[in-house]
Amino acid sequence: VNCEDVDRLIDAYLDRALEPKRQIEIERHLSRCQACQSLARQCEEFRSFFSANAPIYRAPPELRARILAMVPDEKVKPAFRFWREPWVYAAAAAVLVTLCVALTILFPDNGKEFSHVAVLNHSRSLADNGLVDVASADPGVVKPWLTAKLDFSPPVVDLPGSGYRLMGGRIAVIRNRPVAAVVYKRKGDVVTLFCWPENRDLVSNGNYLIQGYHVCTWSNAECNYIVVSKLDSHELDQFADLFRDHIQSNPY
Amino acid sequence: VGERSRFEELFLPHLDAAYNLARWIVGRDQDAQDVVQEAYLRAIKGLEGFRGSKARPWLMTIVRNTAYTWIRKNPHVSAMIPFDEAIHVVPMDDQLSESSHEERKRLLHEALSRLPVEFRDVLVLYEIEGWSYKRMALTLNVPVGTIMSRLNRARRRLQGELAAARDPEVQSEL
Repeated sequence: VNCEDVDRLIDAYLDRALEPKRQIEIERHLSRCQACQSLARQCEEFRSFFSANAPIYRAPPELRARILAMVPDEKVKPAFRFWREPWVYAAAAAVLVTLCVALTILFPDNGKEFSHVAVLNHSRSLADNGLVDVASADPGVVKPWLTAKLDFSPPVVDLPGSGYRLMGGRIAVIRNRPVAAVVYKRKGDVVTLFCWPENRDLVSNGNYLIQGYHVCTWSNAECNYIVVSKLDSHELDQFADLFRDHIQSNPY
Repeated sequence: VGERSRFEELFLPHLDAAYNLARWIVGRDQDAQDVVQEAYLRAIKGLEGFRGSKARPWLMTIVRNTAYTWIRKNPHVSAMIPFDEAIHVVPMDDQLSESSHEERKRLLHEALSRLPVEFRDVLVLYEIEGWSYKRMALTLNVPVGTIMSRLNRARRRLQGELAAARDPEVQSEL
């Protein structure tokens, strides 16, 4: 370490920022060099002068006020807390109600409605002794007769070995449209199967008890079906299953 | 609101330090205020990303960057570096007589105002903010050796400016 090194490193030395080895080397040099001792003294004097007189500024009050005013404007306002807005709940409720109404219109529980009409038709046919307009146990007779009077070809099947005997068919009117009514009998119980093609107002699946009659409703890709009978609901379900199996395995 | 109280808790205590740093770098009171306000805006925007515990150095770095941006945008103003008379100066040492202290302060201000901004920068960070060489090197993105020599030159230059400015009375006291 020579005097030039000390001149270059004296501040770092006084700041104790040098590596320990360097720190010691400079200390040794200072102990035997008058000129560098003088330089070190000057530097220290300057330091104390500087620290005694260096300006330290305080923020003016108006700056503090400006910054405090800035905080809510910058942070609170843009952060929109939607869950704190009451109108959001009103809007959500309105959307929900609209959705429910729309669902009711689009997917109504129309099975019960249809069923009432079907039950009325079924009970009248029993009372008026107008059970069938075409009386036959042969689907080959009943089906063409119905097809001739309707704009579609209804599934007419006999169910041999099931206890249900095909009695025949008639035309019924449900909701202003002619539909096929196919009549079966099991012992004393009459079963009427109403059937019509529908692609807009599909009947929902359901089981109902209306005026003492059990009703079973369903639909498939082609038709709406309503079965009405005095049979209990379990037996009616069995009949419906039987019928569905039959038309599935024997396309009409 | 949580953000506001967090902001106040973290950064408002350092407003004086922020202003002081800005004032040292850009010189004039009004410019320093603008710099600090801009820096606090940046700090608010960055608050969500701030996860550290040391708010002060973080804020100081923002103030410093903002000050340098300001200098780049206003080169004609910063070239003059007026370092105007202090209204908010807090003396570090009140033991000296009022008159000589005022005089010394004036001399030091004058000398500082003639220093290049990078020299005032390292002086305020080291002497007033108490940053280490290492932290300065990291923040200024230069080697520690550069900080060492810059601080060294800053002091020598300031000593020189003082010697040129000081009158015989002050000289005798030194």
